[in-house]
Amino acid sequence: MEFFRKTLDPVIALAVIAVLDIFMFLIIGAWTVGGGETMMTGLAAQAILGDELQRIPFWTMVFKPDPGYWKIYISLGMLFGAFVGAVLSKEFYLRYPRHLSEWVLITIGGLLMGFGIRLAFVCNVSTFFGLTPEMNLGGYLAISGIIAGAWVGSMIYKRILEG
Amino acid sequence: MSIVGECLVAFIFGSVVGLLVQRSRFCNTAALRDAILFKTYRNTKALLVAMMILTIGFTGFLTLGDGNPMHFDVGLNQMVGLFLFGVGMVLAGACTVSTWVKSGEGNVGAVWALLFTFIGMFLFSLLWSYNYWPPAPVSMTGEPNLAALQLGYSNAATLQEKYGIPAIVFGIGQTLVLLVIYRAILRKERQQPGSK
Repeated sequence: MEFFRKTLDPVIALAVIAVLDIFMFLIIGAWTVGGGETMMTGLAAQAILGDELQRIPFWTMVFKPDPGYWKIYISLGMLFGAFVGAVLSKEFYLRYPRHLSEWVLITIGGLLMGFGIRLAFVCNVSTFFGLTPEMNLGGYLAISGIIAGAWVGSMIYKRILEG
Repeated sequence: MSIVGECLVAFIFGSVVGLLVQRSRFCNTAALRDAILFKTYRNTKALLVAMMILTIGFTGFLTLGDGNPMHFDVGLNQMVGLFLFGVGMVLAGACTVSTWVKSGEGNVGAVWALLFTFIGMFLFSLLWSYNYWPPAPVSMTGEPNLAALQLGYSNAATLQEKYGIPAIVFGIGQTLVLLVIYRAILRKERQQPGSK
């Protein structure tokens, strides 16, 4: 099938996603990822810590672990859809970062992303595909933050590339 | 809609997004990083087109009183939090979408990034439980609370309510700004060496 042989123009892909996101907005809410990830973190922490988790107020006052939280299933769906796409286009194979420095950068980057999402209450997806199109003030604050952060990150990345 | 129905809709939406992002190689990190570092705009243009469609769609339905906009107070934490996120996504080479999509393609580095995103979230939950900032959604009022560095709640619907101007009018204004940026990128691409 042609769809699985050629790379799709990202403008077309994102235009289709935007239209679907409008339907989501009407039914349950706009596309977001950070909220679902936070709930997964809470569920994982509950599985490990059990009732001890209730001693951390965040998990009783802000995100009470709930497997019925719909945002979790957007992330699981993305994982599934990407897996299907990769298998059907014969692009699925295990890839590992080759150098220790890559593992270190990914570790620091992951920690910053997780910490940043919770501090902001939003992720990049809610910023660009939810808050800003709703013209929420938080979207503009978040966009200015992410552009400044991406610039600083890019300068660090450039220095690393230049050795 | 029932909880099961909501989860099903979310899963179907996510699956289509995962498939389209995998086939198009779209990456939000690249949309910003490549524009800054390499002056290439393949992903930036896609992001802008999506934002234009969404702005018209969301503000159009908000004008009619429809839709489910995100509802919480905003403040300095959005700027600082997304700054940290922006640094992190460039270092990790993936954002929230591409970590899931690359994981689905068998990228172990993306799985590692996801794991540490979860750990970062858990670490923040410990910090929040110590200082209780930013305020929990249950304590939000929608009004500015400068002591807590919060500016309240406002979007196209609240602008419509306050000024009596349909939300779509503000949406058209924002779309035009995005269009100007999009056209500026096209112009820049045409001026680059090797362009047709």
